[in-house]
Amino acid sequence: MFEPDTYEHDLLNRASLDHCVKCTICETQCPVAAVTPLFSGPKYVGPQAERFRHGESVDHSLDYCSSCGICTHVCPQGVHIAELNSVARSAMKADHMPLRDQLISRTTLMGMTMTPLAPVANAVLRFKPALVAVEKVVGIHRNAAMPTAHVQTLVGWLRSRTAPKNPAPRGKLIFFHGCAQNYFEVETGIKTIEVLEHLGFEVIVPKQGCCGLPLQSNGIFDTARSWVRKLVAQLREAPQDLTIISCSTSCGGMLKHEANEILGVKDADLLEVGGRMRDVCEFLLEMYDNGDLDTSDWLPNELTVPYHAPCQLRGQNIGTPAVQLLELVPGLTVVESGAYCCGIAGTYGLKKEKYDIAMKVGKPVFDKVVAINEGVAACDSETCRWQIEQATSVPTVHPIAFIHQAMGLSKLPVSTGG
Amino acid sequence: MANTVVIGAGLSGLVAAIRLARAGRGVTLLTKGIGGLPLSQGTVDILGYAPDRVETPIQASASMPEAHPYRVLGPAAIAAGVAYVQELLGDRLVGSPERNVLLPTAVGSLRPTCLVPTSMTAGVVTGGIRYVLVGFRQLKDFYPLLCAGNLERQTTPDGQPIHARGIILDMPAVEDMADSNAIGYARSLDNPAYRIKLAAVIKPMLEDGEVVGFPAMVGEHDASAHRHLEQLLDHPVFEVPLPPPGVPGMRLNALLTGLAKEAGVRIVAGARVVTFESDGDRILSVGQATAGRIRQYAADTFVYAPGGFESGALNMDSYGTVTETLFDLPLHGLGPDLITAGEPADQALFRVGVGVDKEMRVVDPAGNAPYSNLYAAGGILAGAIRWSEKSGDGIALASAVTAADSILKGA
Repeated sequence: MFEPDTYEHDLLNRASLDHCVKCTICETQCPVAAVTPLFSGPKYVGPQAERFRHGESVDHSLDYCSSCGICTHVCPQGVHIAELNSVARSAMKADHMPLRDQLISRTTLMGMTMTPLAPVANAVLRFKPALVAVEKVVGIHRNAAMPTAHVQTLVGWLRSRTAPKNPAPRGKLIFFHGCAQNYFEVETGIKTIEVLEHLGFEVIVPKQGCCGLPLQSNGIFDTARSWVRKLVAQLREAPQDLTIISCSTSCGGMLKHEANEILGVKDADLLEVGGRMRDVCEFLLEMYDNGDLDTSDWLPNELTVPYHAPCQLRGQNIGTPAVQLLELVPGLTVVESGAYCCGIAGTYGLKKEKYDIAMKVGKPVFDKVVAINEGVAACDSETCRWQIEQATSVPTVHPIAFIHQAMGLSKLPVSTGG
Repeated sequence: MANTVVIGAGLSGLVAAIRLARAGRGVTLLTKGIGGLPLSQGTVDILGYAPDRVETPIQASASMPEAHPYRVLGPAAIAAGVAYVQELLGDRLVGSPERNVLLPTAVGSLRPTCLVPTSMTAGVVTGGIRYVLVGFRQLKDFYPLLCAGNLERQTTPDGQPIHARGIILDMPAVEDMADSNAIGYARSLDNPAYRIKLAAVIKPMLEDGEVVGFPAMVGEHDASAHRHLEQLLDHPVFEVPLPPPGVPGMRLNALLTGLAKEAGVRIVAGARVVTFESDGDRILSVGQATAGRIRQYAADTFVYAPGGFESGALNMDSYGTVTETLFDLPLHGLGPDLITAGEPADQALFRVGVGVDKEMRVVDPAGNAPYSNLYAAGGILAGAIRWSEKSGDGIALASAVTAADSILKGA
């Protein structure tokens, strides 16, 4: 239970729930309620239960909400359903935060531990008895989609490479790599930087830590706040008039709106940084719309690609820019998954009690990917890519990989090069 | 490429966007949620009451008051709008815009409407029809005995009897579920095995010549669910719309949204449009409150189809002042006594809205356009009380098609 006069308490009683007209559209679109009776749906645990909360949670099925945010996205009245429910869940778990949730939400720790031990860590993650032990002791499902560790981090690559000497006629950009691109999705980070440099930007990569999103989505708010504030200060050490590019939909979304709307961090610095943050496909499509992206020399790629727009991207309310962007590649056909969520929702699908639900949530995505499969699928979010790969065995890449290839920057075709 | 921004993802916004995109325009559709169609009944009403029950809606539209959108649009535009949605949806919508039909509601009244989804056509009232209404103990939104009892008390418009009885089944949507809703049943009914199980329970209870009415939840995605159930029961089957959100409305929304994406419409959902930029009499761009910032979308023309009071596009403050909340457009139908102690259906407030000329360009009460490139469609239009006239769908279609054609002609 939260003390009166705290932000959480206020949020639990906030006014947006009065905008709820009980139209129930959110209930019909919720991907979790559609597959399990364990979750009664966003309206029931949210704007309805809210009236009885008085600072604490009344409906424990709330724990089964995956925080995908689709309820807020589809609400015609502007009710902050997902945000209300995230705060209520934090209140519910405050006294008994599972060790597992403490562990999986510290992504930098995971990355720092796994990188020097990458071959060992990856071997352990493929060793069934070890995974069964982890499931029993910690509560991470034995089949959960875990990241692959890399010997070299993105920061290590930046240090070891020869930076381009070419002039940068389009000026400078800041790259926000987050934990994922630094430790687990190094390739995506490298390709993003190379695409931006190819376009004539100079890419600045300031030292940066974790945005705190995994902590936030697991309800560990205080630590999440201090981490996001620290990150904001780090990003502001670079010139403060530059656009910031992210190729992680979840971390970008954290800085754009979740730290403000869920954690209640109202610092002017955070809002300023959030306002400069762009998803890389959003940024490139806006360039195209403004006539600043020349695609005339893009290499053709005769391929049909299943594409999943992750829930975290939808939460940014920028449409699905990757679809329009990929369709600029000659020969490339994009088929959307047509589903709202792949089930993983950050760390939700890792948890042993939620794994089966997450797999059911993602089934329409997996079925579409398998049906279309020509060797590779695309998705903007790293955890979703791991989930889709794990469930379908179809290599799944960030859309930037296709742009990288179209620009002639990739040595291997996307479907085999990762 | 010439481009248009459409604001709103209801019937008018989607239809205008599809028509423009299919004609080769670049179309971006901005919307707060996923539009109002999931709250609809999946039928197309043109005009149900004026104020008496209407049989020939296009003909009756000429008798509406002068300020009504149908008088601005005219019968040809109404027919064109309805024809376009029939063209888009093919045989999924049955009926003629020249003729209304009556369908049973969930409480057993008779509702006039015009175009009807295939899954409802068997329910159209005819003399001597024998209904059997099927309900479920676990479903709180449909009471078959109430529905049947009220139907029995009525006759067809020409005085023929209506027979009806109800059956209550004890069968949850998912095993052991105490309380099932229509969406849950619809998802179960997407599964042929569930339909076979259900039909096996019902079939012995049916009598020769009966038409079987189900609450509107016979499949969410599987378009063959209705036909399959008819085959299993060897009786005609129809759906009775339930309180919103309605599965037939969700199906219609999914179909039109799919057609919009196929036509190349960029749909940007999840945030309100909150600002605009103009230069003289032209709107240059509108700003959507995306995460972290306001994103401006520039276009040469704009179709404003946000709905009315129900979506917050029109607002009345505590002093009784009514405003249009995005562009602060001049409103039509203002005056004293917007709300009186009379019947809800007669309140002048509901006729307040945005005025348009024959092209659907927004105009002030004197007939002057504040912006030369701003068109309006659907529920924001002044002069109609859509819910009591049952005119909302027809207005949406006719104004959307007219606005799109005006833009295409002007381009």
